[in-house]
Amino acid sequence: MGDKWAGYMGRILDVDLTEGTIRLEDLDSEMASAYVGGKGFAARMLYDQLAKGCDPLSPGNLLIFSTGPLTGTLAPGSGRSVVATKSPATGYWLDANCGGFFGPELKMAGFDGVVIRGKARVPVILKIDDKEAEILETPDLWGLDPFTVEKKIRGQLGKEYRLASIGIAGEKGVLFASIISEARAFGRGGAGAVMGSKNLKAVAVRGRQPITVFESKRFMRTCQEAFNEIAIHPDGGGGRQKYGTNFILSCMNQSGIHPVRNFQKGLFEGASQVNEDNITAYYVRHRACYGCPIGCSKISEVKGGKYKGSFTEGPEYENVWSFGAQCENSDLGAIITAEYLCDFYGLDAISAGNVIGFAMECVERSLLKESDVGFPLRFGDDEGIIKALHRIGKQEGIGKLLGTGVKRMAKLLGAEGAAMHVKGLEMPAYDPRGSSGIALAYATSDRGACHLRSWPIGDELLSTENRIDPFSTEFKAEYVKNQQELFAVIDSSVLCLFTFFALSFRHIVRFLHATTGIEPFASSMEVLKCGERVNNLVRLFNLREGLSRAEDTLPPRFLKEPLKEGPARGRVVELAPMLDEYYFVRGWDEDGVPKQEKLEELGLIDE
Amino acid sequence: MIRHHGRIACSSFDLSLVRLSVTILMFKINRKSCTGCRICEMICSFAHEGEIAPKRSRIRIESDWPGMEGIDVCVACRAKKCIAVCPHGALSWGRLLLLDQEKCDLCLACVEACPFGGIRLEPTNKRLLFCDTCRGEYQCVKWCPANAIVRAEGNGR
Repeated sequence: MGDKWAGYMGRILDVDLTEGTIRLEDLDSEMASAYVGGKGFAARMLYDQLAKGCDPLSPGNLLIFSTGPLTGTLAPGSGRSVVATKSPATGYWLDANCGGFFGPELKMAGFDGVVIRGKARVPVILKIDDKEAEILETPDLWGLDPFTVEKKIRGQLGKEYRLASIGIAGEKGVLFASIISEARAFGRGGAGAVMGSKNLKAVAVRGRQPITVFESKRFMRTCQEAFNEIAIHPDGGGGRQKYGTNFILSCMNQSGIHPVRNFQKGLFEGASQVNEDNITAYYVRHRACYGCPIGCSKISEVKGGKYKGSFTEGPEYENVWSFGAQCENSDLGAIITAEYLCDFYGLDAISAGNVIGFAMECVERSLLKESDVGFPLRFGDDEGIIKALHRIGKQEGIGKLLGTGVKRMAKLLGAEGAAMHVKGLEMPAYDPRGSSGIALAYATSDRGACHLRSWPIGDELLSTENRIDPFSTEFKAEYVKNQQELFAVIDSSVLCLFTFFALSFRHIVRFLHATTGIEPFASSMEVLKCGERVNNLVRLFNLREGLSRAEDTLPPRFLKEPLKEGPARGRVVELAPMLDEYYFVRGWDEDGVPKQEKLEELGLIDE
Repeated sequence: MIRHHGRIACSSFDLSLVRLSVTILMFKINRKSCTGCRICEMICSFAHEGEIAPKRSRIRIESDWPGMEGIDVCVACRAKKCIAVCPHGALSWGRLLLLDQEKCDLCLACVEACPFGGIRLEPTNKRLLFCDTCRGEYQCVKWCPANAIVRAEGNGR
């Protein structure tokens, strides 16, 4: 290995489940300097190796786990890893990333990436132990929840193993099934269904390889600086530590962008019952992912009432919204139980809440009969949420319909006007009518409605220093484009966005250069260009799968129905001018296809 | 560096409250505050080995989700069973645990005897790992973001 691969492990594992073969490949040094790692590696490999028009749930699809040069190091928030595949929900690119301890363990096992292809004949797990891998037949684990699987495999193989496993929802092909790793999730877009379609129940990793750093002194100095920046930052060192991700809930509700009743309203009356001040009473203790000084994760427990005894790691802001305001439910006990069930069955909690809220609106508008549902499913009914989750997880009764996601349900029920999704991925917890930036971010994100490709909310509604007008469309295209580049670098290197909020891009560049010693990483512009390259390559992937400008849009509700209350009252999203400008600043033509000059500039010309 | 402000209540599903707050001479360990981030493991291995290898750290975090994290490190206890059980007399005490490499034949009696998990075998290079206080630098104490491990007052026996 030596200094040539400082920061990287230098190997990629290629597993064919159909043939049962395992190959080790060397990491390409050109790929490392052009795509950084994580999402970038996955983009390159998926683009090169996946056949056009492949059915996402067929053996032909690939499932790629990857880590970056900063994964597992002392850089703050280094516990993350990426999974990438073709999404069964959208039919386009999907990358999801997950914290916890799986990524660092995978890296210390000696791999920068694991490519999984084919389909096993019987349920298997993939065991990766210190540079070696093995496919184990484990039919007895099929049908179990991720917590039991984790316990059993750790009991059999050893306590040091870290797992990424799927629940029953992933086995049964729920289109928003997630991959669970110790109650954290590769959540969005249905990576769990892809893993289930391959008959792969879990990936278990253990590693003892050291991670070397190119320039120790400079790396440590940057670490010290970064830790101190986080400690004094009002977000990373303050609110997020105390309240977890929920610390923005009151602010979002007062800004009128905490969507209620499937995005029909923007102010939640029950917010005072679920906001950050009340939720702290449920927190039992703080928890952190690998290498994180913030520790935004909380273990929560319900101590009384109907749901006494249920607990979860969380609940996160997005889930407090998706099972709270989205369904107009203000019972925190139900929210915590719902989040536990999502981990138990292996579901994406944002999409699950969306689907339930959408079904509630369909019932209200008599598009879905309550007799077909089989139980009361009305806005504000907390028991309905729990019952629906059990049905989705087990794929029984109405759960079969709900498990297909909002896009497909809407087509079947004729409720397209109320279907809140972009490209087939359900909406996160910010109403774009109150923030032009997030509207453009949703419309142009590579995996559908996603708040993690660009998050203008930070500067539009939360910042006091750099605040920009949330309603104006001016310069939003440049803002979103630049932030998408930045976040692509973070997802490629792979760090956590939450620690990045307290740092500057300068820190990331110094981290990358001090860790890897790769010459182009010394320059901020070059690193940013890597981000742009990743985004353009993913765009090329999506275009190859049939994406067009018509799908870079928002649900009709945001474009036609004005918001009824709150600071954004009477507003709809003016998307078309922003989209034109966005394509222009990206160097894409009017249909959203990257122009030849742009591809030449990024070195993507031979595609 | 950073202090958590949150009120941390006792959890009903965690029964392992045995070693909650062990006051000793080297460290004061507060398991309740530990978030399980393993920054101590990383900085420990970085300080001693020059590379990030948590499996070769002298302080170890044992997690049992969703229960509390356990912190395994030499706490300079009064009993010092490790020294007592060593059949070769290789271990001695002089403000911290000292090992005479020549006398040690890796019988691991000390590893088994230590109730705190403070001594462990490093599997690749076949040597014993235990806290040497980073020559008085106490890197884990300096880097712990949750103040779960702090220096005990009155250190210096």
